[in-house]
Amino acid sequence: MLLLEYHSLLIHQILTERFNGPSPASIDQVIPDFDGVIYHISTPETKTKILVSLSIKCYRDLLEFGAMKVLQREYGSYIVEPEAGYDFSLQIDLEALPAEQEARDDLIHRVSLLKRNAMAAPFERAFENHYHLASEASKFTSESAPSSSDTEVMAIHYRDEEAIYIKPSHDRVTVIFSTVFREETDRIFGKVFLQEFVDARRRAIQNAPQVLYRTDPPLEIRGLPGVQDTGAGDVGYVTFVLFPRHLKPERRDEVISHIQTFRDYFHYHIKAAKAYMHSRMRKRVSDFQKYLNRAKPENADKERKTASGRSFRQT
Amino acid sequence: MSTSQTPAVVMDNGTGYSKLGFAGNDAPSFVFPTAIATKGATGGSGSGSGRPAVAQKPSFLTGGAGPGGHLSAKRGTEDLDFFIGDEALAAAKGPGYGIDYPIRHGQIENWDHMERFWQSSIFKYLRVEPEDHYFLLTEPPLNPPESRESTAEIMFESFNCAGLYIAVQAVLALAASWTSSKVQDRSLTGTVIDSGDGVTHVIPVAEGYVIGSSIRSIPIAGRDITYFVQSLLRDRGEPDSSLKTAESIKEEFCYVCPDIVKEFSKYDREPDKFQKYVVDQGAGRKVTVDVGYERFLAPEIFFNPEIYSSDFLTPLPEVVDGVIQSSPIDVRKGLYKNIVLSGGSTLYKDFGRRLQRDIRNLVQERLEMSERRAGVKSSGLEVSVITHKRQRYGPWFGGSLLGQTPEFRSYCHTKQEYDEIGPSIVRRFALLGGPGGTA
Repeated sequence: MLLLEYHSLLIHQILTERFNGPSPASIDQVIPDFDGVIYHISTPETKTKILVSLSIKCYRDLLEFGAMKVLQREYGSYIVEPEAGYDFSLQIDLEALPAEQEARDDLIHRVSLLKRNAMAAPFERAFENHYHLASEASKFTSESAPSSSDTEVMAIHYRDEEAIYIKPSHDRVTVIFSTVFREETDRIFGKVFLQEFVDARRRAIQNAPQVLYRTDPPLEIRGLPGVQDTGAGDVGYVTFVLFPRHLKPERRDEVISHIQTFRDYFHYHIKAAKAYMHSRMRKRVSDFQKYLNRAKPENADKERKTASGRSFRQT
Repeated sequence: MSTSQTPAVVMDNGTGYSKLGFAGNDAPSFVFPTAIATKGATGGSGSGSGRPAVAQKPSFLTGGAGPGGHLSAKRGTEDLDFFIGDEALAAAKGPGYGIDYPIRHGQIENWDHMERFWQSSIFKYLRVEPEDHYFLLTEPPLNPPESRESTAEIMFESFNCAGLYIAVQAVLALAASWTSSKVQDRSLTGTVIDSGDGVTHVIPVAEGYVIGSSIRSIPIAGRDITYFVQSLLRDRGEPDSSLKTAESIKEEFCYVCPDIVKEFSKYDREPDKFQKYVVDQGAGRKVTVDVGYERFLAPEIFFNPEIYSSDFLTPLPEVVDGVIQSSPIDVRKGLYKNIVLSGGSTLYKDFGRRLQRDIRNLVQERLEMSERRAGVKSSGLEVSVITHKRQRYGPWFGGSLLGQTPEFRSYCHTKQEYDEIGPSIVRRFALLGGPGGTA
């Protein structure tokens, strides 16, 4: 498994079961997802009405950047008043499902992508801004193009200590992740890993977005509230530069999905790398143990006798 | 702290099936075989790295990359090419993958594979960042402390999980029985009969501590019942006697009867007791299999093992009685009063009732004998077998129940404590939900 899935496997599974199951049963499950997202899937009123609620840390940030619009587009009539303690709720009536199997599958898929869609809003907005700026900029010659420093930077504080910053401009969209490692080993693995990202463009994949890694805040976000340059280097900043070829409308959704899962992908691979290291270490230890066993003299305390039949004894 | 609201992850990795889920839910989110399919037909040669072991001699200088190998050539991702659970079984049918069951007899045998099994469980199935969650894992009774330490090493060093608690399955099964209406006081004293697929354990637990010296294992469990049903079908010459058919007949039709002889005559009188089972053999072929005496004979092997096995002859009630009699005298009363069932092979209808009756008879006999000898009237002894709705995934459910309590986190060992002390920290855990706990 190289890439992580974007949708919640469990929601997908539960809904598929319920949609096709013979008799509805009551559900009450709490399902966490990456980045402190918590889903609550329940049947509060009747067994046929499934309520899916989402709690996400940065919901206020997302609302500010037009999350409601995206969610409205994706879920439309399923949206209901948010359940207490959660940010956003959908209600699916099993008795009013679309008739065709395809439409049902599509609905299941869309619901299981709830987190992705909620998080997609700022990206979509940035892309829209980019299109707008690009069409503006195309009126100018390349020399006199307006500087891109005056566009807004959107900050999504999706974890306690980490955030995503998105900055659109006329010729690119810059996405910056701030990353914090709680552990020394992880930081080293992370550094190697990110170096590979930076190098990948040089070696094989020319079309990849440009990736930069540094430990002080990049110029784009310097001075924003919440961004401090401690100088200690414990916060890393990973910058993705998306060029217009990544931002084509037909690729847009995939790019958004990919870039959203970056942090989880990153941490997953650090952990997988450690697991790989551990298995190599175990292998090496068992190899060395074989050598040690081989080095043991086979019959060390064999009695040695003189010609006359007497034996020596060590004292 | 971001871990303050996230529910704890509860993982019960058994020999046959792994139960994964989150604390507070009433059923595990995922139940799939504890199997892993890896590239290459190694099937558990111990290397598990997914690539051929090239190093013939210790290669300190090449950093373990093999002779002449440059690091850049090792940029493959073979170590990520594996499947777990049902996908593993499917992949193993195709070419190129070998299957391995990392847990044998309840204990983890292949740590490489287990580490990757967990990796996939956490990231692919449960989809959580382990740094944000506390983990509750289970272990079989009499698990060696070294095995615990290795588990902790993987959980803390590979996954950096926020906190870890390793609980004994039997204790969790006791906790799961608190949902039964028959249980008034939530004590952690009782006898757990844990019957899964491979083996049946009878485990006495006193105040949350397993009495290790009194544990007894019975080599009769779910798989044996399936084999027994299969052999009965074969003897009768049924058109389909595959293991799968036997298993579904076992799960669908079997029950425990109070008396075999009476049951046989009952079947003679009431022909509608005989049932039909339709097997879909695929490709549109369907055959009908008669289901007869095996309905009550199959689970009967717990009570009369001589009808199935020739080398194990002690009935389950006698084993349970023996276990309790070998436990310290001051806890025996509690052990008789709270006999808890757990595992899939205890789900037969009236299993608990029959067990309770048989054990009570044994106890009564002994009481009467001692009364005759001593000439003093005994105050009697309460025997009660608890059946409840959560039996099938008992240990997991107990874990979910205890994992959602507010005190749970204070019982866990955290990453900081692990970094301070080292793996030996997991040799001891505070007793979860024990006396004094409000759980």
